[in-house]
Amino acid sequence: MRPFKYSRATDAVSAAKAVAANKEAAFLAGGTNILDLMKEDVARPSELVDISRLALMQIRNAKNGGISIGALAKNTDTANHPLIRQNYPLLSQAILAGASGQIRNMASNGGNLMQRTRCQYFYDVAMPCNKREPGSGCGALEGINRMHAIFGWSDKCIAVHPSDMCVALAALDAVVKVQDAAGKERAIPFADFHRLPGDLPQADNTLNPGEIITAIEIPPNKLAARSYYLKVRDRASYAFALVSVAAGLETDGNKIKSARIAMGGVAHKPWRATEAEKYLAGKDATDANFVEAANAEMKNARSFEHNKFKIELGRRAIVRALSMAMNNKA
Amino acid sequence: MADEFEDSGAEQLTADEEALLTDFPELGELGEARRRFLGQAASLGLGAFAVHLLAQEQILAEVKPDANAVFAPAAEENAVAVSMKINGAQKSLTLDSRVTLLDALREKLGLTGSKKGCDHGQCGACTVIVGGRRVLSCLTLAAQCEGQEVTTIEGLANGDTLHPMQAAFIKHDGFQCGYCTPGQICSAVALLQEAKNGEASYVSDNIRQKPRATKLSDDEIRERMSGNLCRCGAYPNILAAIREVHTGEERAATWEFYREEKGDATV
Amino acid sequence: MSKVKAIGEAVSRIDGLLKVTGAANYAMDFPVSGAAYGYLVKSEIAAGKIIDIDTSQAEKAPGVLTVVTHKNALKTKPSRAVRGGAMLQDTEVNFFGQNVGVVVAETFEQARAAARLVKVRYEKAAPKADFETVKKQAVKPKDREDKIHGDVEKALAAADVKVDEVYNTPIEHHQPMAPHATLAVWEADDKLTIYNESQVVNGVQGAVAGVFGLKPENVRVVTPHIGGGFGSKGGAWGHVVVAAIAAKIAKRPVKLALTRQMMVNSVGLRQRNEQRIRLGATKDGKLIALSHETTTHGAINEEFVEPCGDVSEHMYDAENLRVAYRIAPMNVIIPTYTRAPGKSTGSFALESAIDELAYKLKIDPVEFRIKNEPAKDPADGKPWSSRSLVQALRRGAEVFGWNARKMEPRSNRRGDFWIGYGVGCGTYPARQRDTSAIVKLTRAGNDVAASVELAASDLGTGTYTILAQTAAETLGIPIAKVGIKIGDSSLPPAAGSVGSVGASSFANAVYEGCLKALEELQAKTNRQWFAAPTVTQLMEAANLTEFQTRVDAKPLPDAQKYSSHSFNANFAEVWVNDATGMARVKRIVAANAAGRILNPKTADSQVIGGAIWGIGQALSEESILDPRFGNFVTRSFADYHVPSNLDVGEIKTIFVEEEDKFVNKLGVKGLGEVGIVGVAGAIANAIFNATGKRVRDLPITPDKLL
Repeated sequence: MRPFKYSRATDAVSAAKAVAANKEAAFLAGGTNILDLMKEDVARPSELVDISRLALMQIRNAKNGGISIGALAKNTDTANHPLIRQNYPLLSQAILAGASGQIRNMASNGGNLMQRTRCQYFYDVAMPCNKREPGSGCGALEGINRMHAIFGWSDKCIAVHPSDMCVALAALDAVVKVQDAAGKERAIPFADFHRLPGDLPQADNTLNPGEIITAIEIPPNKLAARSYYLKVRDRASYAFALVSVAAGLETDGNKIKSARIAMGGVAHKPWRATEAEKYLAGKDATDANFVEAANAEMKNARSFEHNKFKIELGRRAIVRALSMAMNNKA
Repeated sequence: MADEFEDSGAEQLTADEEALLTDFPELGELGEARRRFLGQAASLGLGAFAVHLLAQEQILAEVKPDANAVFAPAAEENAVAVSMKINGAQKSLTLDSRVTLLDALREKLGLTGSKKGCDHGQCGACTVIVGGRRVLSCLTLAAQCEGQEVTTIEGLANGDTLHPMQAAFIKHDGFQCGYCTPGQICSAVALLQEAKNGEASYVSDNIRQKPRATKLSDDEIRERMSGNLCRCGAYPNILAAIREVHTGEERAATWEFYREEKGDATV
Repeated sequence: MSKVKAIGEAVSRIDGLLKVTGAANYAMDFPVSGAAYGYLVKSEIAAGKIIDIDTSQAEKAPGVLTVVTHKNALKTKPSRAVRGGAMLQDTEVNFFGQNVGVVVAETFEQARAAARLVKVRYEKAAPKADFETVKKQAVKPKDREDKIHGDVEKALAAADVKVDEVYNTPIEHHQPMAPHATLAVWEADDKLTIYNESQVVNGVQGAVAGVFGLKPENVRVVTPHIGGGFGSKGGAWGHVVVAAIAAKIAKRPVKLALTRQMMVNSVGLRQRNEQRIRLGATKDGKLIALSHETTTHGAINEEFVEPCGDVSEHMYDAENLRVAYRIAPMNVIIPTYTRAPGKSTGSFALESAIDELAYKLKIDPVEFRIKNEPAKDPADGKPWSSRSLVQALRRGAEVFGWNARKMEPRSNRRGDFWIGYGVGCGTYPARQRDTSAIVKLTRAGNDVAASVELAASDLGTGTYTILAQTAAETLGIPIAKVGIKIGDSSLPPAAGSVGSVGASSFANAVYEGCLKALEELQAKTNRQWFAAPTVTQLMEAANLTEFQTRVDAKPLPDAQKYSSHSFNANFAEVWVNDATGMARVKRIVAANAAGRILNPKTADSQVIGGAIWGIGQALSEESILDPRFGNFVTRSFADYHVPSNLDVGEIKTIFVEEEDKFVNKLGVKGLGEVGIVGVAGAIANAIFNATGKRVRDLPITPDKLL
């Protein structure tokens, strides 16, 4: 870990100003990812602006009938908030599927969106990685790519986004509220917040320098009764996903009015399974239809030497998550 | 080390501790936490051995510095002043901004009970309780703890009495090598409160239910303790200890001896 | 003599209080004043040479005291006792992450930051890091001849039913919770103390003394507690010597801890094994041929073979037996002893193959094993000192509810899960090694206390407690009156906590030492005792307030005439999610026959720990090399999956009682290793029973069950 200047911000605008003024500066909230990366010498900020105590922790009903979640509310408080457990159980479940009790007590919601990939080549500074060091090559492309992407990758980067929470937020059509150094706010639809790697794998998201996440808003929906977050991993708990699926169904009897499906562990961003959603709209909630929907999504997947299994696993995970959602297992 | 912080929590030695210090004058050099522990050890009877061992270890650690030793100029880069309450005592420190809470506890305050198992938030050995919640001290900068209340394994016992979780870990053999144990116990103590708060876990089947105090199943405890790795494999015993403290019901040992009725088992 | 019953009692660990309060001192916890901090620089190639190291930037960094590389390190004597080399002696690089330098600074933060400033230029060579390629060059190991009884090929040709399969186990790492760390203190120019968690206290002492050309007694190893070892803390590794070199150059005590990421390339590993098992049986289920061939790898300049075939030599009665090894060099750190070396991985292969054979024969796998129980050791024809595998199988099956098993795979379904039952057996040799001990007695009035001292170690095995129990019962005084001093090389030399020799070697030495003390005291009283006197009576009669004696305990002279092993039978119930392929071990019944159990509470923990290692081996543990670079991509606990709490279901231990008069005086056989043996096989067999899928490549991750 390189030397850095530490300061504690008093408000969001001054924090954004401090970070905008120094391109080597970074925000510090829960610290669970950035300190890890700094110890590995992957992140090398010369300045950390501690925003963890800013008044951005509120969780409350939003004007549009949805919910507004403070960027600096802790994962634990978010997952356990009565409004979220009652109305957005998919989000609670996804958060609780991630990390450990200790980490969820530390990690902020905004920080969860800012998590960087767990790609082992990204984490090891002795290895090539275009995300960490643009132009050095992608170590995973022809390397050990068991954990890597099957959707939306480029030959510059095949890393996946590690979050569980974000998979649920993608399915829930969340909106990310941000503020810049001038105090100017903007709202970024969740699908536009994270990026695919393309030719710029170093950029995980579409934030401008110095922009600070202030809140995450989820519009109202009718999915609470039928939703499920399924996580498949190499051990029972405390492991990143091989594949995960957030599924929510709005139904009329056995008829699907609309389906929301997002996947984790398969792409550089939480992957919205739009092909599967399209297939299901207006159809009966049957296993046969779930299988067809999964096939529709997975036919576009492209795997590598060590992650071929993710295509079949993804297919099965979609089917199982939909059937769990239909059976109200959240 | 001692001049790096002010200690506003003036301590009184108990009669037990006084007696121990008479027997083992070398213990006088020990830190606050260890002296307190010694008091417990003496009053608990089973600790005579522990006291002797600790006394030996203390003597072992007495090293005279090399006369030619070179010290680099103390340069606190990016120094940050931080003050926090640790196990009830106010501590004020000036630290390199890079110092984690774990390293501050271990290297600056002599509270070596919290362990460095991975230093990357992947094992839980460094778990401490900050503001009533379990957190990983390896991924917390000391600077972030300004004004916070920190409880470490050294601060769990109430005077001469072990925390019930500590006693249950001994009773159920909830450890082997003991290295993950301080983190396991801090985690388990905080978990009890989380259950009272009605917090859910990934294996809860009632997410939509309003949070209310719950009696945790074995799988609930296992899932909630999964952030604390134990390589010796003490998990079933850790579960038994937590379960007993959580429910108040005694858990019997599960092993059995078997001797074949007819014929000798041996050649 | 007053009767104190302590041996065999479920005594809580006497060091428990230290461990639950955070007071136990591990290597990095000793409050040595004035210590500086070391941080290693590791090679970023797996094969080649160092051309140059530029330390100028690092030396200028704040707080840095010295940077040590091969250019300025003390010259050490060549040694194979320090495993893996990497003592900063030359420019050769033989594995990725080899020690190439160390930065010493006032603080940990400064040392870590400055280590990144050391620039190393290499001449890179292509690493041999792809096992699939290097195995083609595998040859017979230098120190291992093929073991052949009868004619396996002929017997196989004549067999009614055959199995011929290849089983693969990956590289595994020990990953003790306490990363290896050394606090090195030079007390004088030729006198070194190292605080270093060491399973073999005198072994580490000798290795370090050897490389520095010091008398062994001038190196003191202090290790009262060990934060896990599992074989990786058996000997000294390069960093131990590097810490001492750094301390000498910096003229300061130096604390040098490996990071978790460094652990994969610093302290050995369990090697990759490819095992071909061929079995032949008659149609009524008599095993007639067993061939166990292991292909593996060592380091580039040194061989190490994990004896996978050992289990095949002892488990079953097969008249025609062949056990062979082939090994090839690879650019990795030297493999080393890892919990139940060879037996655990070997038993996965053998017990899977036996299960496959039993299925082909349509015989219950428990009955098949009982049918092929050998009357004497097939390896050498010696009689067993004791063997209770059949009893373990029968009682284990009964407690587990084996009769509810459906033989037909994929026939037990509950909800989303396929449920399977599996059995797997194991063995591990029981041995006693030379160990000395001093027994000191002090009397105040009629109150006698004892102190027992030996250079033994406790890595969570319960050594402190079982020795206190042994001394208390033998001397007839309460456990609370017994002090135990171990973990210090200045005490009488002892065996190590390795290879399951710890409990038998230490406890027998303490037992003999206490008996000797009583005998010598009795001689001093100069009178005849008609009833056995108490130790207090003896000391009073001899008018002594202090007494001490020393014993040099050795194995029984006749022990070699017998074959002595612990045996176990493990039963596993595994649930496999039909959609995701995630497998979960719901319960294990582990029936162990391991001679006398000194303390069922700590023994139970040993068995449970072994079973959990088996769960990790079966389902999740795998260290993966990128063959292009020779580095491990699984460098952290996020990538190398040791079991978490939720991965472990109920585990029930059965101790099959044995009175073994031949293995050693106390009849102790040891449990540290045998607990893992057979477990991965039981789990893999349960997964076959659940799903109909026979997975022969560990670990059985979800992708293999789709």
